[in-house]
Amino acid sequence: MGWWRLARPAVAGGGAGGAAPRAALRSWAMPPDYSGVTFPERTKLKFMEKVPAVPKVQREPRRLRDIRGPSRDATELTQGQYGILALGGGYLHWGHFEMIRLTIGRCMDPKTMFAVWRVPAPHKAVTRKSLGHRMGGGKGPIDHYVTAVKSGRLVVEVGGRCEFEEVKPFLTQVARKLPFPAIPVSRDSLQQMRREEEERRLNNQNPWTFERVVTANMLGMRKYLSPRDLELKGRYWGKYFLKHRV
Amino acid sequence: MAALGGGAAWRGAWLPALRLARRSSKAVTRHWKAMHLQRHKLMALTEYLAPRPAVPERCLRPAAGPQEEENGYARLLRRQVEEVFRDSRMIVVCQYNSMPGDDMVLMRHYLRKHNIEVKFFLNEIVRPVLSQSRYKNLLPLFVGRNILLVSPETKAKEMLRVLKGVPQVNLLGACIDDTILSRQGVENFAKLPPLEASQGQTVGALALLPSQTCSLLQHGAAHLTALLDRHIRQLRDGAGEGATPAGPEPAQSPGAP
Repeated sequence: MGWWRLARPAVAGGGAGGAAPRAALRSWAMPPDYSGVTFPERTKLKFMEKVPAVPKVQREPRRLRDIRGPSRDATELTQGQYGILALGGGYLHWGHFEMIRLTIGRCMDPKTMFAVWRVPAPHKAVTRKSLGHRMGGGKGPIDHYVTAVKSGRLVVEVGGRCEFEEVKPFLTQVARKLPFPAIPVSRDSLQQMRREEEERRLNNQNPWTFERVVTANMLGMRKYLSPRDLELKGRYWGKYFLKHRV
Repeated sequence: MAALGGGAAWRGAWLPALRLARRSSKAVTRHWKAMHLQRHKLMALTEYLAPRPAVPERCLRPAAGPQEEENGYARLLRRQVEEVFRDSRMIVVCQYNSMPGDDMVLMRHYLRKHNIEVKFFLNEIVRPVLSQSRYKNLLPLFVGRNILLVSPETKAKEMLRVLKGVPQVNLLGACIDDTILSRQGVENFAKLPPLEASQGQTVGALALLPSQTCSLLQHGAAHLTALLDRHIRQLRDGAGEGATPAGPEPAQSPGAP
């Protein structure tokens, strides 16, 4: 199924928009150069275990701070050219991993494309008490394992001899199903996003910025803010990433 | 929840653990946690304000079209057009309506026999080339679908004959020997005799007068001779019964031009 057939605009006979299509000198675009692309051994996504090889005995505290704030790992595209970027924090469990693996495996062509994981297998134990009991009686047993994902982290990377428009449909399909907001990105679109963010920060006409108020503790604002707001600078609230904030 | 034990010394202190323990939810929640009013106000105050220049950008952008880089193919075609205009004596611009392929092939074949080539050039290539050369007056012809018939010789009559049999190709104008001709002009040019014949005619016309010089010069003497001959004949006839031979007269005439 050619991806280009879906995106072809309807040919207008010189109505709204611009001039009617005229015969002109044909100019050919150079085909894309995939010379720098190296394929890994296995092009399809690896199967992720539900439970780690050594299951945990000691139940660990909830530690929700592994969802909060920007991500430090896996923020850049390394092996592939396109990926899914998380725009919020959340936990991925085995069901999500299977969904990603199967959808991408179904939609991509293993001969010309490859996909790699950028998140580890579920390792964080989540406990759950049995339903319908009162509080107390100790911590519940381990129910399942999850991986924590912070905003700004890449979940999967896809690459190979393919264009962004080919890969975008199924990556958006996967991104919609994730428990946090996510978008498919390419190298260019990621750079563009970062550049725009920087431009917004520089050409902001508002003299009062969150960072300025918090660092100077104007009006005693720090009474109502968390110490972590010094780093988060008003762009993160809980697990959410506030994209519209500068 | 441990109550605040102790005396007045503890009452003014703000211990985060105790303070936060009063709240119902933690920092990170599954739902959107409601913000404190002050924080809400701070967020509203520190929102992004987009720059608004005095003159909007859309009013200041007359020619911001992306400049297309020079196409090598376009350069090649332009070079071809220049060569064609330089090397051919006869260039005819015709309107070209679509015609069946085999008719086209036949027309090209007949024209090729007279050493006339059919060339297709794109208007967008030809127009800039012409506007910078001395063929500026041919520019109005290069609008719409057209073809060029070029030839190093000027065989207008044969070309017109071929084109008469093809109704889809109409002659618009021509440039023959650096002379721009219209359709009428081409037809008149075709009716002219060929160069050699006209050269011969000119030479004959020029040589006519010198050829008459000899007869002009001899005209007086010849006239006199003729008159004398008639006179002699008259006398001979008149004096036929007489016997007066006009001996001395015929001997006299050739010696007096």
